Amino acid sequence: MGSRWIWRALAVPGLVWLAVFFVVAFYAIISVGLGNVTTLYEPVPHWNPLDWNVGYLWAALKAVVPGGDTWDTFLRTLIYVFVAVVLSLAIGYPVAWYAARHAGRWRGLILVLLVLPFWISYLMRMFAWTNLLAENGYATRALSALSIDTLFQHLGLLDGSDWLGGQHIAVILALVYGYVPYLILPLFAALDRIDQRYIEAARDLGASPAGAFWRVVVPLSKTGTLAGIVLIALPMFGDYYTPDLISGSPKTAILGNAINGYVQGGPNKSLGAALTILLSAFLLVFMLYYLRVVRADQRAAAGVA
Amino acid sequence: MSRRSLLRRGGALALTAGTGAALAGCENTTTPVAAAGGGGDGKGILGDPTAGGPVDSAGIPLARKDYPVVLPRRGEAVKSSAKPERGGELQIYNYADYLNPAVIKAFGKQEGVSVRVTTFDTLDEAFSKLSTGGLEFDIIFSTPDQLSRLVGRELIQPLNFELIPNLQKNVWPELHSPFYDVGPRYSVPYTVYTTGIAWRNDLLDFDPSKMDQPWDAFWSPQAEKYRGKVAILDDSREGPGMALMRRGVTNLNTEDPDLLAQAGEDLKDLSRRVGVKVSIADYETVPAGRVLLHQGWSGDMIAGVISYMPKGVKPDVLSYWYQKQGGPIFNDCICVAAKATKPVIAHRFLNYLLDNKVSYENFTGYVGYQTPLTAIDAQKLFDDGVVPKTLDQAVVTREAYANGNAYLTLSAKGLQLWDRTWASFRNG
Repeated sequence: MGSRWIWRALAVPGLVWLAVFFVVAFYAIISVGLGNVTTLYEPVPHWNPLDWNVGYLWAALKAVVPGGDTWDTFLRTLIYVFVAVVLSLAIGYPVAWYAARHAGRWRGLILVLLVLPFWISYLMRMFAWTNLLAENGYATRALSALSIDTLFQHLGLLDGSDWLGGQHIAVILALVYGYVPYLILPLFAALDRIDQRYIEAARDLGASPAGAFWRVVVPLSKTGTLAGIVLIALPMFGDYYTPDLISGSPKTAILGNAINGYVQGGPNKSLGAALTILLSAFLLVFMLYYLRVVRADQRAAAGVA
Repeated sequence: MSRRSLLRRGGALALTAGTGAALAGCENTTTPVAAAGGGGDGKGILGDPTAGGPVDSAGIPLARKDYPVVLPRRGEAVKSSAKPERGGELQIYNYADYLNPAVIKAFGKQEGVSVRVTTFDTLDEAFSKLSTGGLEFDIIFSTPDQLSRLVGRELIQPLNFELIPNLQKNVWPELHSPFYDVGPRYSVPYTVYTTGIAWRNDLLDFDPSKMDQPWDAFWSPQAEKYRGKVAILDDSREGPGMALMRRGVTNLNTEDPDLLAQAGEDLKDLSRRVGVKVSIADYETVPAGRVLLHQGWSGDMIAGVISYMPKGVKPDVLSYWYQKQGGPIFNDCICVAAKATKPVIAHRFLNYLLDNKVSYENFTGYVGYQTPLTAIDAQKLFDDGVVPKTLDQAVVTREAYANGNAYLTLSAKGLQLWDRTWASFRNG
């Protein structure tokens, strides 16, 4: 009996942390987004849900549907995040698979290398690219020497030769570069957990190596893959500094930029808050799907055991 | 972020000044009711019979050069005989990197106090934080369009100018009693700056200043060659303002929806033509050659010369053009906080910053933004090698100040109009 309370007490700091830094903070955003403004457009939060005013939320909603002010921005955000997640998976999955299964004595070293990017802040890494991709930057020269820029131009992915000149592809690749480590680590953990005997059993029962991979490994790593996707997609949706640093052009502005623009200054802070609420609601749908999959997975696992 | 990246962000955002809401007690209105206006007899503005000037229907003073505003007196200024406070900390609230650390240090030594600078990113942020009452500063750096709301919320105190003799002695006479703070009562000017065109004369194959309408350089066929290397200021007033000037509009505070709609279209056109970027890092990107044509601030170019030239690049590759008739030109200001615990030392600091020698060191040694002192003349700057000849127009002159325009307080409706115009371009 007594030990149960100890375990519950251990959860308290986490809960307090969440309550103060997430629930209260998020409630403040909701109160501003569903609040009002003074004659000078200073936001007046409405803390009492009975006083909530949906005017700004409605305006934000009208802005993100086709024909609205922010529709293009919203669409662009979806495309950027989708492409970046697909590319991250294409890069991250093989790396995680290799590290978990085939690295042998290099395993420890590879794990260290995977953690290495976390030593340097995201922002600093992006700043580095603004110099590497400048006209005379090392990366630009290397890409040019390898004719990658001409290849991209032929494919219609690069407009001109300036990687930092407001290119969609540069922003997407920057997102991939920035977030892919966050995908690889949970994937690695998931793949590492898969019992080698399952794969051997599949092979014994006549599956080809590819067949065993598709029918055993991929389904068993589904939860880990989804966790990784959630982990990188959520911050990508809220990102604004990556497009700012790598492009800085309105052509590559995503929802995070729009929200940042409204909230930084000027008379439309409430609209910024309302857009934040909308984006959160949109992301909540993904989150719920993820939770459902995890629960189904856990139930299945419990059934097996 | 690098040294001054946030320096001017939002500095010229038209944050509606004024206190109308609080004074009229009409918070929580769904539709802001303020309308543009320059009329009104100004008697009893903000409840002070000695104050006056034009106000809009929400009671917001809309100071203009030809409609000066006297701000109401709130609180008492310190006495001339007051003794300087001893020891402790002088608290300053300012943009990042907007004061030379050497100058601050010397002042602390001279007065026997330690000086602490807290920074803000935007004036909006500064006002919100000050309004909560939780922050206690002695000195607040701001802009003239903020003054009426700072006064309305009683966040700054009247000054005793007997303690700031350098204002009369050293500052341009036209700023002894400026139109936004007649008297003056609350502020001393800090820096003056213009908005113009900055470019790399060694990398751009045309000279914007030679064009009939230099602002058109951004929309010109010549600029299309530099796609991705053209930028305008990330600022809800400067961006549309440039598009207006290009069309020959002289009123930079216009609230005409048709003119602003045209400006919005022109900005979007800029996206299509040159893939324009928005940035306030002109002090760094132009010297580095990452942007070759940039709408920029005069002070940023001089700061670029002081701190941002890459190795092997001479400062005279930077050029700057300014529209001599009606171009954007204005100044920042400094105030003493209502809750200052060291008001006398704060006055002495204001006076110190307006000292010819100190001011010159602050300007040329670090900040890059010029102070409006009569002793600072262009020739001296060239002779001292602070400014190359190619940047001669980045030096702000009294003549330019007299002929220039400024982005000033808008009515609430006008503010919304400008911000929407900007957002619809900025969000792509």
